[in-house]
Amino acid sequence: MDVKLKRTGLDGLYVAAVGRLDLDNAVEYGSKIKNFIEDCEDPIIEVTLDFSEITFISSFGLKVILELYKQLQVQSGVIKIKSISEQLKNSFKMVGFDKFLVFE
Amino acid sequence: MFKTLRSKILAIIILMLAFLMFASVFHVYFARMNTKQLMVQNYKFSITASSFVQEIKNRIITSEDCLKSLSLIGSLYYKTDRSNDLTDRVIEKVFKNYPQALGGGIWFKPYIIDKSRKYNCFYAFRDKNNKIVIDRNFESEKYDYPNQEWYKQIISQVTPEGNIVWSKPYYENMGSYTMMVTVGTGIYVDGKLVGIVTVDWELDSIINEVSKMKPVEKTFSMYKSGKEIKNSFALFGNVKDDFIIATTDPYLDNKTITGHSLKEIPWYTSADKLYATTYITYHKKKYIPFVNKLDNGMVLIICLPKSEMFKDVNNFYFLLILTMLGIALLIPALLYYSLNRYIINPIDKLTKIAHKIGKGEDIQIKIEKPEEFAHLASTFDKMTKDIKLITNERAKITSELSVAKSIQSSSLPNVFPPFPNKNEFDIYASMEPAKEVGGDFYDFFFIDKTKFMFLIADVSGKGIPAALFMMTVKTLINNIAQLNYSPKQLIEIINNKICQTNKQGFFVTVLLGITDINTGETSIINCGHNLPLIKRKDGNFEYLQLESNIALGVFEDSKFEVYETVMNVGDIIFTYTDGVTEAINKNDEVYGETRLYDCLNSIDTPEPIEIVQRVKTSINEYSDSNLQSDDITMLVFKYNGRNNTKIFKETAKQENYKQFYNWLHTACDEWCINEELSNKLDMSAEEIFANIAFYAYREKAGMLEATLTKSDENIIFKFIDEGIEYNPLEKPDPNIDLPPEERPLGGLGVYMVKNMADELFYKRENGKNILTLVFKL
Repeated sequence: MDVKLKRTGLDGLYVAAVGRLDLDNAVEYGSKIKNFIEDCEDPIIEVTLDFSEITFISSFGLKVILELYKQLQVQSGVIKIKSISEQLKNSFKMVGFDKFLVFE
Repeated sequence: MFKTLRSKILAIIILMLAFLMFASVFHVYFARMNTKQLMVQNYKFSITASSFVQEIKNRIITSEDCLKSLSLIGSLYYKTDRSNDLTDRVIEKVFKNYPQALGGGIWFKPYIIDKSRKYNCFYAFRDKNNKIVIDRNFESEKYDYPNQEWYKQIISQVTPEGNIVWSKPYYENMGSYTMMVTVGTGIYVDGKLVGIVTVDWELDSIINEVSKMKPVEKTFSMYKSGKEIKNSFALFGNVKDDFIIATTDPYLDNKTITGHSLKEIPWYTSADKLYATTYITYHKKKYIPFVNKLDNGMVLIICLPKSEMFKDVNNFYFLLILTMLGIALLIPALLYYSLNRYIINPIDKLTKIAHKIGKGEDIQIKIEKPEEFAHLASTFDKMTKDIKLITNERAKITSELSVAKSIQSSSLPNVFPPFPNKNEFDIYASMEPAKEVGGDFYDFFFIDKTKFMFLIADVSGKGIPAALFMMTVKTLINNIAQLNYSPKQLIEIINNKICQTNKQGFFVTVLLGITDINTGETSIINCGHNLPLIKRKDGNFEYLQLESNIALGVFEDSKFEVYETVMNVGDIIFTYTDGVTEAINKNDEVYGETRLYDCLNSIDTPEPIEIVQRVKTSINEYSDSNLQSDDITMLVFKYNGRNNTKIFKETAKQENYKQFYNWLHTACDEWCINEELSNKLDMSAEEIFANIAFYAYREKAGMLEATLTKSDENIIFKFIDEGIEYNPLEKPDPNIDLPPEERPLGGLGVYMVKNMADELFYKRENGKNILTLVFKL
């Protein structure tokens, strides 16, 4: 899966990917972000996930995002989900993720 | 020279004419020579004969003179001195003057000189020494000359005018026993007969003369000189007294016949009547008699054997016939030889070579003479080369044609079944081009997710141009069809496009159908094409009575009627081109629509491929071995109704996950499931797939069978696996109200599935986990 990672501001990270966050791709997506954050010298507090090109998210995708959230919690960071369709947002809501994720 | 056939033929003709001319000249020359010779000989012979006759005449005259002299002596003796001595001397003198006379005398009537002397005669003859002897022995009682036959004969015939009387020949029995003849005349004194005078002739000399009467030497002879004509013979006779004086007839005893009647000569009567050139037949031989009548009643006939006489002429004619025969044989032989050598042989040679060339051998023709054939041979040679070139060219064209054919056939969909995972319909089509490439075509494709278009078409004309046009039309229809117009609009646009691209005046008849494979709703448009047949479920094939529209490519902006119908499960449409109904048998009768109707209704299987094959067989049987005159194209479409169940069966492992969700997406697309539900199905599918792959088949990968069934109310998603018993429904739900830091990472998936599905069932059966999800529509 092609994942684009970009630093924004002092403590931000912008992530854009294309395709499905499913059994096949979710783990790769998650580990790429995780590795990027860990490799950064400055702490990352705000991660923006661009969902405009994500067509599908399954429980595997949601699990990865939860993991990422837990990683960021150490610095009290936040995850912002950008340009998500109503369809996928429902999936987040279904498992109660809307309570700690910020949708833009 | 003589190199050309013309000159050869001319030479042969001239040669033959020269032969003929030579023969003619030869003939004319010798014929002329012979005729001349014949004339000369005839003339010579006449002269000879007449000189002989003259000789005889002379003798007669001489003997007459002699007789007259003797008669004068006799009358003088009677009138004057009656001196015996003087008379003897005078007689002796007379005989000296007439050497031909053998003997002769003066014989007075008895007692007329002297009443006392009965016999008074003078007789002289030539002895062996040619000395004249006076013989007094005839004045004897013993001889008694007045009683001798000759005396009586002569004295009875003499007249005072001094006629000459010839006695019949007789044998003189006094001395020499030679054949004699006596001529005599009377002695008249003052008109009173006092005695007779006689001259004796020996006949042997006359016979000799007569037998010498042969045509002169060299007669009629061309080559051989001096050859006499053999077997000729002559006759000397007295016609007046009718007796034979002499003859050399080889078939008669000349000694005994002498003196007999001329009539005893067998050929005399006929010869006497004939002219010299006509022949008589005597002892099986032909003779030509030359008849000379003398004025004193004598006749001289000379008979010449015809064969001898014309021997040389015959030889000549025989030779001439031989020559002619030779020429007659030589000319055809020469002609035959020349024909063979100059015409037949070269033709044979050419024929043999033509045969060999026909078999593909590479041969140079070598004929040098005559020039005409040499020219023909070189023309032939050139022709062979040209043919080779043309053949190569043709082979190239043929190979190009076969390439064109394969391009054309590959442009038509020819893999059946064309959509293996579409069960809503079956389709089969076939095209058999009449020539290398045909003007018929068919096509079928989806114009969107559910609308399936099939068409069959016949382009006007045949061969390459028609095929090129066909390709254009086919591509055009395919492209425009994808633009999602209504059928009516679609066909109008296609027509206009074809009109615009068609400058050659081609047109195309089309039968086009568009079926919604979910509903069976079908639009059929007939553009000047053969009416299709439709078979409704449990019914017969019937011709579909469509409104016929104008063919495509004829008029721009034409309007088209569209026939709307609904195809039910099992309905079949049979479409075809006129190659089917216009297939002809050996009696030139077409296959026809009735025969097609009967054939279709005799087929007991609904399979499109079977239907096409059976019709094809029927046509082949009907048209026998006749050459196929038109493309034969058929397309059969069978509607099976909407298919509501999709099955996926594959090993449950992560590598196959992509294939699995593609299968699911295809089904959703096909059934037009909304995005929300398809997302739910997608998420559920993934979760269950992962569960089976990672938990049910924890140690060893196994089979997953997923079935998706759509009904009007819901979608049933069923999963079957043979892994360890595992009921995901038993898993406790995660607490979604916990703060995120405390939330466990697992358990989300099953929770979501439970949330999304309207109903869930699990059962373990025969070592299989069966999980059923129900989603309401």
